[in-house]
Amino acid sequence: MSATYAPATMVGDGTSAKSRTRARWRRWRPWVVMGAIVLVGAVIMILPQPANSGDPYALDNPSANGSQALGRILERHGVRITVVHSASEALEKAHAGDTLAVVGDRLDPPEARRLSQTTADLVAVDVGWTLSNLVPGVHASSGSFSTEKRSASCADPDAQAAGTITAVYLVRADDDVEATTCFPERSPYGWTGAGTYLTLESNGRRTAVMAGGETVVNSSLAHEGNAALALRALGRHKHLVWYVAKPSSNQTTNAELGLYDVLPPWLPMVGLQALVLLFVAALWRGRRLGPVVTEPLPVVVPAAEASRGRARLYRKMGARGRAAAALRAGTARRLGVRLGLPRSAGPTEMVDAVARASQRPPLSVEALLYGLPPVDDRGLVSLAQELDRLESEVHHP
Amino acid sequence: MAITWRAVALTALGAVWAVLWPVSLTVLAWTAVVVVAVALDIALAASPRQVEVRRDVPRSVRLGEPATSTLTLRNLGRRTLRAVVRDGWPPSAIDDGRPADARLPRQGVATPRLRMKAAGGEGARGQLALLPKRRGDLVVPFVAIRSVGPLGLGARQARIPLRGRLRVLPAFVSRRHLPSRLARLREMDGRTSVQVRSSGTEFDSLREYVVGDDVRSIDWRATARRNDVVVRTWRPERDRRVMIVVDTGRTSATRVLDGTRLEASIEAALLLGVLADRAGDRVEVLAYDRTVRARVAGASRAELLPTMADQLAPVEPTLLETDWTGVAAQVQARVAQRSLVVLLTTIDPAAAEAGLLDVVAQLAQRHQVIVAAVADPELELMRTTRGDAVETYEAAAAERTGLGHAAVETSLRRRGVEVVEALPGDLPPALADRYLALKAAGKL
Repeated sequence: MSATYAPATMVGDGTSAKSRTRARWRRWRPWVVMGAIVLVGAVIMILPQPANSGDPYALDNPSANGSQALGRILERHGVRITVVHSASEALEKAHAGDTLAVVGDRLDPPEARRLSQTTADLVAVDVGWTLSNLVPGVHASSGSFSTEKRSASCADPDAQAAGTITAVYLVRADDDVEATTCFPERSPYGWTGAGTYLTLESNGRRTAVMAGGETVVNSSLAHEGNAALALRALGRHKHLVWYVAKPSSNQTTNAELGLYDVLPPWLPMVGLQALVLLFVAALWRGRRLGPVVTEPLPVVVPAAEASRGRARLYRKMGARGRAAAALRAGTARRLGVRLGLPRSAGPTEMVDAVARASQRPPLSVEALLYGLPPVDDRGLVSLAQELDRLESEVHHP
Repeated sequence: MAITWRAVALTALGAVWAVLWPVSLTVLAWTAVVVVAVALDIALAASPRQVEVRRDVPRSVRLGEPATSTLTLRNLGRRTLRAVVRDGWPPSAIDDGRPADARLPRQGVATPRLRMKAAGGEGARGQLALLPKRRGDLVVPFVAIRSVGPLGLGARQARIPLRGRLRVLPAFVSRRHLPSRLARLREMDGRTSVQVRSSGTEFDSLREYVVGDDVRSIDWRATARRNDVVVRTWRPERDRRVMIVVDTGRTSATRVLDGTRLEASIEAALLLGVLADRAGDRVEVLAYDRTVRARVAGASRAELLPTMADQLAPVEPTLLETDWTGVAAQVQARVAQRSLVVLLTTIDPAAAEAGLLDVVAQLAQRHQVIVAAVADPELELMRTTRGDAVETYEAAAAERTGLGHAAVETSLRRRGVEVVEALPGDLPPALADRYLALKAAGKL
């Protein structure tokens, strides 16, 4: 018997360093391949992401509402563009002799007032309702219902070079401000004082205001003289600081601290260490000392299970007749054995013998042992208990 | 390869550096330190494959008795081996603090680890306490060795496919009934001279009359030859054949109380086998469902019980319908003259219809047949509990089952077959008593 088993001593597991390496490689290959696929897929999905954004007026946004075209043309003509993301950064980067472009209507008044302190030439594009804070004395005015062509009609050389532009919105300068207003609204009542583009000189720097963003966005840059106006106004100096106002950019002004700022500085590093620790602990606990040993377990079906199943069937089908017959037959058999009746004894002999032994009237014994089946469950229960009682009353003759 | 808790603790130490210098480089550098330390430790650990492993385990053990598996390692390499060793016994083999009759091992208990240390060229020994929970063959497929490095940070690991086996013999708890039955056998024996001639006895010897002997047993012819009163002595029949067939089919798999029917059948077979052997009969045991699962024949006196236990130990219930025609064929092939055939099975109407009745009738024409079955106390409990409707239906179902049993029993008796039905613990002595009764009556 024991000869079929391995010898009593053994050295090693029949593997070599080479075969183990091969086996490990074979075991891990699917995972390595899968990991590589996931990694490559992730890289492919991430790669084009930084190339452009979807923000309006962003210089890296090639879609209709972006300004990538304008940025590319300006760069080709030797203009250095610095993109900034906050008012303070804009003030820091733009010096005298530079152009600061403030774009978009998301500017809030305090921010606009701070930006108005810049020493660089200012170009305000589509600034909207905070315009008067940025350029004192100049307001946004109501525009036309749809895009229309407007012609220069002024002495500004940039406007004259552009000729006609497309525009919706309008700006207006106060009467006491010395401004050149161009591309006026074409109104049936004549000139209203509002224009699409205006320039003014103050404190030795030049300020230009464009009412709307049509002249800078990709979708309408090529229409009419839009490009000429934008390139001339923004390409005046070698350095352009491009600031697109965003709602989030003014957060720095409210000195609200994030969760990250109140935590101690070492916490993230300890968290990182804890992650490493978790991984190491998983390696520690995850390595088994040999595989799980299996063994066949015994069958555990209780022998009475079949009878229980039969009982459930009886109950489900309401088989009171069958149940009562079984109970009666069982009692009759035991009584017959106890009273020494032959197996061939018929109902009459049985009833007589039982009635004599239990001192019950034969009729009631007969009804109990050979009566009609009960009509409901309660009847069945009382029959069963009555049979029990009868059995306990019958003793050896 | 594996790492230890020390490697984890070393990694945790990095949190201190992370607090002192809170930059990610700190974490990175410390991780690198840990990796290098663990790698170095693993490289310095002794090879777990340069170890000669030897397992000493007894060939067999009786169920309920403890055994020891001894592992002896001999370090063939030069480095010191610090090993954590797992002897891969299945859970039911291990002494987990539960009594052996628990049958199922405690859940989630890992094999105890043995810690051994052996310098180069030296050996170490470890012992694992076993307390098998079930009868049968326990097979241990491997020894796993984890060799920890000198720093205790990392370890090398190998699984040595050194197989081993421990045969767990039936408990034979019914052996406590043996002395009283042997005494009864001795009473029947001719050495007690009150025994008079009856059927089922044969002439044994002549001896001198002593006061108290039955005068009817005086052999007058012999008395006349010698000048002394001589009586004849008688002894029970000897050298009868007893064929015990253990049914291992699907009905033997069901559980009665806390063991399968087969367990009770094996107990009964062992007790009857030993008793019949002591009574001078020739015993054969056959475990059968559709093929022969075990067979004991022609074993000598002293060898019979060990052989029976050994052969019946690995027998497990199969989920097959027993082939009764096959049983009859086996019996006919094994025994020619009239013998006692004991069928250890169930009295189940379904089994009876499956051929038991016909085969038994056929066997009963040539042999004395006993059908011994394990009764289910749960059925009796179900029958007598009649509280509400659910219980009453169960009582009715139990009654129906009981009637079926009674019918089978009746038709078996009508064919001249003896029927023994008893609870699992009572079946072995009941069967032994029936055997003694038959022997006394000379019906063998």
